[in-house]
Amino acid sequence: MFSQENKYPIFVVTGCLGSGKTTMLSKILSEEKMRNSAVLVNEFGSVGLDHHLLRNVEEKTVLMSGGCICCSTREDLEEELTKLLNEADASESKKMDRVIIETTGLADPAPIVFTVLKNPLLKHHFYVAGVVTVVDAVNGLLQLEKQEESVKQITGADKVVLSKLDLASREQIDGLKQRILDINPTVDLIVSPFEKLDAVQIINEERNEGLADYKHLNETSVMAQENPIHSVSLTFDKAINWSAFGLWLSMLLYARGEDILRVKGLIDVGQEGPVVLNGVQHIIHPPQHLSEWPSSDTRSHLIFIMRNVEKQEIIYSLETFQNFIGSGASMLEYANQL
Amino acid sequence: MCILCGEFVMDVHWSDFSPSYTGDKDMEVKVGSHQRDRKRNRLEKVRLVNDIFKHYHLKLEDWNGSKYVLRNAKGKSEIVNDLGALWPAVEKLSNMKPNPLNPELLKNLRETSEANV
Repeated sequence: MFSQENKYPIFVVTGCLGSGKTTMLSKILSEEKMRNSAVLVNEFGSVGLDHHLLRNVEEKTVLMSGGCICCSTREDLEEELTKLLNEADASESKKMDRVIIETTGLADPAPIVFTVLKNPLLKHHFYVAGVVTVVDAVNGLLQLEKQEESVKQITGADKVVLSKLDLASREQIDGLKQRILDINPTVDLIVSPFEKLDAVQIINEERNEGLADYKHLNETSVMAQENPIHSVSLTFDKAINWSAFGLWLSMLLYARGEDILRVKGLIDVGQEGPVVLNGVQHIIHPPQHLSEWPSSDTRSHLIFIMRNVEKQEIIYSLETFQNFIGSGASMLEYANQL
Repeated sequence: MCILCGEFVMDVHWSDFSPSYTGDKDMEVKVGSHQRDRKRNRLEKVRLVNDIFKHYHLKLEDWNGSKYVLRNAKGKSEIVNDLGALWPAVEKLSNMKPNPLNPELLKNLRETSEANV
């Protein structure tokens, strides 16, 4: 059930209207190694995409009863992905290596992840391998200030690609980079002109798992104080009881899932390798067990990107639950001084 | 498929992933495999939940290794499949929103653990 073997990877490409999603896609899809990609687009923009496996889908979101927006299913995607699956199975010649979904400018990536994880057919044949967000270097700062959707596109992203670099000043680019990393410090930021982009940089499944590098998150900068969205990076000195941790996190996500914008973690569960945890709001990707640690640091690390939840609240709660979880949590900078 | 009630269980909650199933390269949960680990994990989960649920005056029981039954002090009960379905049932039976950041819950848990020392 949790294995990714024999499943097709799905890459979600998102970004505001006019940010350059289609331009970037037409560049990377022209590469030979991307030939067997099926592409689903939600709208035809001003730039035409010429690809033999291109389909247009009309966005149809069905809100589950009692659910928030992240727990809604996208009926359009269910239909199209099922069709793609049937075609790939029926025909030997139409080989499909991956699916790329280009969303509309206002789309929230969370319902796409939810749809793939919950649909009884799709979850056995597809998995979301990555979310790539394209941000316009000229207007990006303004969009992040005015549009809540663009902030969600950053918090939900694994990679952020800056576009229109030739039109933006150095100050604009530096300011935008800083703002993006303030919102989602774990994101892989790609700052390179489109003509120099290699498809492998964007459409790959490697997630940055070196979570120990984020101790700067716990420094409270002036900018972070003004911003309701902030991050905390925690470390645990002992192995964690997975059942108790699952209990605590699922309870937290039930209570405050809309405010826990992203969870990423490498959890030491007393086995040889760690468990990789990745979640967007209420939705947790199926955890993956690595056979070994990616670095010499073998402590558990957990990063939360939160809105209107204080770092101290999380730490106090984890401390109280430590009898259950098996280890107390501390903010990374303090742990390193010990 | 639940053999007791015939319900088709399609979802495996992320927390039911068990890292103790070592030896399986791909960590798949397969029917009939690791029954002993699975049962142990379920019972442990029930024990942990009941320690926390004293605050909500609720009790959880494992039901034949297939489902959980949640009861309140008045005897009202709900059947749940996993942790994903547990929290809405807790809210329904206790009229309190389960929240691990709730100061009252944390105070109770701290007092209980201090009393046990």
